[in-house]
Amino acid sequence: MRMKGRIRRGKEWFLSVVILVLALNSVCVAASENPTLVLGGFTTPREAYGKAIIPAFQSYWKTKTGQNVMFQESYLGSGAQARAIISGFEADVAALSLEGDIDKIAEAGLIKHDWKGNAKKAMVSRSIVVFAVRKGNPKGIHDWADLSKQGIQILTPNPKTSGGAMWNVNALYGAALRGQVKGVAKGDATAARQFLRDVFKNVTVMDKGARESITNFERGVGDVAITYENEVLVGRQAGQTYDYVVPRSTILIENPVAIVDKWAEKHKTRELAQAFVEFLWTPEAQRMFAKYGLRSIDPAVEKETTKLFPPVEDLWTIEYLGGWPAVSKNIFGPQGVYIQVMAELRR
Amino acid sequence: MTQGQRTSPWGRWGLRATAVTFLLLMIVVPLAAVVERGFTDGLAGLWEDLHAPAAMDALWLTLWTALLMTVINTVMGTLTAYVLVRYRFPGQALMNALVDLPFAFPTLVTGVMLVVLYGPQRAVGGWLQRQGIEIIFAPAGIVLALLFVTYPFVVRAVQPVLMELETEQEEVAYTLGASPAWTFVRVLLPAILPAVVTGALLCFARALGEFGSIVIVAGNIPGKSLTAPVHIFGEIEAGNLRAAASISVLLLGLSFLLILFVDWVQQRREHRSVAVSV
Amino acid sequence: MLPSHPEPAKTGSGLGGAAISRGFLIAVVVGYLLVLLAGPLVAIVLEAFDQGLAPLWAALTQPDVLHAFEMTLWISLAAVLLCTLFGTVVAFVLVRQRFIGRAFLNGLVDLPFAVSPVVAGLMYILLFGQQGWFEPWLEAAGIKVIFNWPGMVLATTFVAIPFVIRELMPVLQAVGLDQEQAAHTLGASRWTTFWRVTLPSVKWGLFYGIVLTFARAMGEFGAVLVVSGGISGRTETATLFIFRALDERQQVAGTGVALVMAAFSFSILIVMELLKSRTQEAAQ
Repeated sequence: MRMKGRIRRGKEWFLSVVILVLALNSVCVAASENPTLVLGGFTTPREAYGKAIIPAFQSYWKTKTGQNVMFQESYLGSGAQARAIISGFEADVAALSLEGDIDKIAEAGLIKHDWKGNAKKAMVSRSIVVFAVRKGNPKGIHDWADLSKQGIQILTPNPKTSGGAMWNVNALYGAALRGQVKGVAKGDATAARQFLRDVFKNVTVMDKGARESITNFERGVGDVAITYENEVLVGRQAGQTYDYVVPRSTILIENPVAIVDKWAEKHKTRELAQAFVEFLWTPEAQRMFAKYGLRSIDPAVEKETTKLFPPVEDLWTIEYLGGWPAVSKNIFGPQGVYIQVMAELRR
Repeated sequence: MTQGQRTSPWGRWGLRATAVTFLLLMIVVPLAAVVERGFTDGLAGLWEDLHAPAAMDALWLTLWTALLMTVINTVMGTLTAYVLVRYRFPGQALMNALVDLPFAFPTLVTGVMLVVLYGPQRAVGGWLQRQGIEIIFAPAGIVLALLFVTYPFVVRAVQPVLMELETEQEEVAYTLGASPAWTFVRVLLPAILPAVVTGALLCFARALGEFGSIVIVAGNIPGKSLTAPVHIFGEIEAGNLRAAASISVLLLGLSFLLILFVDWVQQRREHRSVAVSV
Repeated sequence: MLPSHPEPAKTGSGLGGAAISRGFLIAVVVGYLLVLLAGPLVAIVLEAFDQGLAPLWAALTQPDVLHAFEMTLWISLAAVLLCTLFGTVVAFVLVRQRFIGRAFLNGLVDLPFAVSPVVAGLMYILLFGQQGWFEPWLEAAGIKVIFNWPGMVLATTFVAIPFVIRELMPVLQAVGLDQEQAAHTLGASRWTTFWRVTLPSVKWGLFYGIVLTFARAMGEFGAVLVVSGGISGRTETATLFIFRALDERQQVAGTGVALVMAAFSFSILIVMELLKSRTQEAAQ
C-alpha cells in the first residue's frame, strides 16, 4: 500500500511537471508561429470587430501576403482600457471611445506620432447618445426632461472607467445648455447643473462600461438606459426587444483609432498595424461598422446606410463644449460640474 | 519536542531558508508594496483617500452588510451544528457534506447563481420586484451572497465543540424540568461560546474581502450597492492606485486584527482544555 | 485556522423530548440550506439548459471556452505545485524546528486568508506593473508578469498558500518524531526518511490540503481579473470567461461554464469528504 502510494505520488509529480512544461511550451510556440496583432478596444464595438471586421481583415491579409494573422482582443471601458495600455497591456492598436482617452496614451509617451494628423482625424466610427426604454415605452420617456421625473430609474455607466458614460454626461449637460431641455433656459449653467443633478439622482446602477450597462438593462433593471445608439442596435440584433428614443438634441459621438507605437515597435508589427488601421477606413469595413449599428464617417457609406439611422434634429459635437481638454477639466475635473454634482448627491 | 536531527545543520538551514524566503517573497513583499503605495503621500494622503465620500460609503456598506450577515449566519450556523450533532435524520450525511460546498465553490459562480435566481427577469426575482423588494443591486443581494460564501465557518467551528460536550448536563436539566430555551442559554451556550465567537469572527473577516460574488450582484451605486472590495477594483481600473492601496491598507489592517483575535481565542480555549484535562 | 472536520451525530436525542420542537428545528435548518444552496443551483441549471442541450454543448465547445478551461487548469496546476512544494517545506520547518521568529512566520501563513482577492491582484500590479518595484529589471529582461500568465500564477498561488500548510501542520505534529528517529537510528538518510517515513504517514492530510488548494485555485476570480487584463484567448480563465460572456449576452455560454464549474465543485466536495474520513481513520 505504501509502495503503491509513493509510486503514485511520484508519478503525479512527474506528470504535473511534464504537463506544465508542455503547456508553457505550447503557449509560447503558438504565440510565435503566426504574426499576431493585439487590439485594445472599448466595450461597444465588440461584435463589429470580433465578428466582422477582424475576419474580413484576416482574409484580406491572407490574400495579400499569404500570412495568417492572429488577433488578440480585449474590450474594456474606454478609460479603463487606456489605463491598461499605459500600465503594460501591450495593445498594438487602440480603438477607444473618445479622443481624450487616446490623448492619455499619447501623453504617457506610448504614442509618438501625430495620431490625429490624417484627413479623418483618426475617427473610424460615429454614434449618438440615445435612450433605451422598455418595449412600448411605458414610462413615456420622450426627451431629456423626462429623465428627471420622479421615480424613473436610470442606468448609465461610470465616467471613471467608461467613455460612453462621459459622452452621456456631455450630451445631457450640452443639451441643457443649448436650451433643448424643457425647463432649462438656454445658456443657463446653473440650471443645467441642477438638471444634471436631478437626472443623476435617478441613476440606480453605474456599470464599468457601456456594454455592461445595457446588459443590465436587458436583465430587467431600470426603466431607461442612456447609451450609445449602436449598443441598442446590436442588442436588437441579439434578439432584445426594447425600443429606443432619440432625443431632439444629442451629441455626435466620434470614436478614434490609433497605433500604439511603443507596443507595435516592440512586437515589430507596425506594418501590420498600419494596414489594419487603414483597413478600417475602407468602404468594406465602414459598411461592417454600419451593420453593427455604428454610423459611418465615410460620406458615401453614410448615404447608403442612412435608412438604418434615424435623423437628429439638433446634432452637435464636443466642440460645442470646448473640445475634450475643456470637458476633461470643466466637467470631469476635480472641480468639474459632474464631480461636484455627484459629491452633493452623496450627502 | 526537539529536533533531534542528526543530519547536517546545513540541511536544516537550507530548509529554513527556503521556507523563510518563500513566505517573505510571496507574502511580506507584496503586502509591503500595498502599504508603501497607500502611504505614498504619508498619513495625510492615506487619510484623504479614506475620507473620500465614495470610500467612506463603501466601507460603511461593507461593514454593516458583513455584520448583519454574520449575525444571521452565527444563529443559523449554530443551529445547523446543533441539528447535525444532536439529532439523527435521513439525509444527514448529505447535509453535513453540503455544508462544505461554499468552500469548494468559485465565488463568481455564487454571484451568477444569485443573479439568475433573483434577477428581475426570473420568476422569483420578478415577483419580488413587483412586491417592491430589491435583491439584486441592493444590499439584500450582498447579504445573500455573503451568507452563502461564509456559511461553513460557524458550523464547522461549533460542531467539534458540541461533539465533545456530553449530553448529560442537558439531560439532567430536562429531568429537573427546565425548558429547552433555558437549557440552551444556561447549559450549552457558555460551553460553545468561544467556538461561536471564533466562527463569527472568521465569517466577518471573510466577508470584508469578498469580491467575486458581490461584483456581479451589486450595482456600483456608492452608499447603496458599492462595497469596499468592489470600490477598490473600480479605483484600480480608474488608475487611482494610491486610493486603491489606502483602502486596501484599512481592510488588511481590520482583517489582520480579526484573525489575530481569533488565534488568541483559539489558543485560550486550548489552554483551558489542557488545564481541564490535567 | 481552517475549520475542522467532524462527523455527523451518532446520537438521536436532543434538546427537549418533544418531537415537535425537534422536527421544527430540523425543518428550519434544512429549509435555510435549501433556500441558500439549492434554489440558486436549480436556477442556474435551468438557465444553462434554457435553449436545450445542443446549443449548450455548442457554446461549451467554442475555442474561447476550451482555451479558458485550459488556462484555468494549467494555472491551477502550477499554483498547486508551488503551494505543495513550498508548503510542505514551510510546514516541516514550522513543526520540526525551533528558532527565533517562528511565531511570526506562523502568523504570516494565515495572512492570505485576510487579503481580499482584488487586493491580492493590486499587490502584483504594484510590484510588476508600470512604476512597479521590480519593473525596471523586468523591462530589461523582457519578462511580462502583469497581463500575462506568470502574474496570474503568482496571484493564484498567493491566495492558496495557507491550505497545504495548515492541513499538514497538525498531522505532522500528531505523527511525532518517533518513527523518524527510528529511521535515523537505522541509518536512513534525511531524504529517505522524509520520503519513506514522514510523507506516507501524513499523506491524507497532505492530499486534503492539495485538494483544497486546487479547488481554491480553480475558483479564483478577483485577483486574476485585476492582474490579467482579460485578454480573450490568451489570459482568460474560466471564471474570467463567465464574467465576460455575461456582458456579451452569451447567456448560455456564461451560465453553462458556471454550471460546469459548479459541477466540478461538487466532485471536489466529494473527494474532500472522502479524504476527510480517511484522515479521521488514519488518526485512529
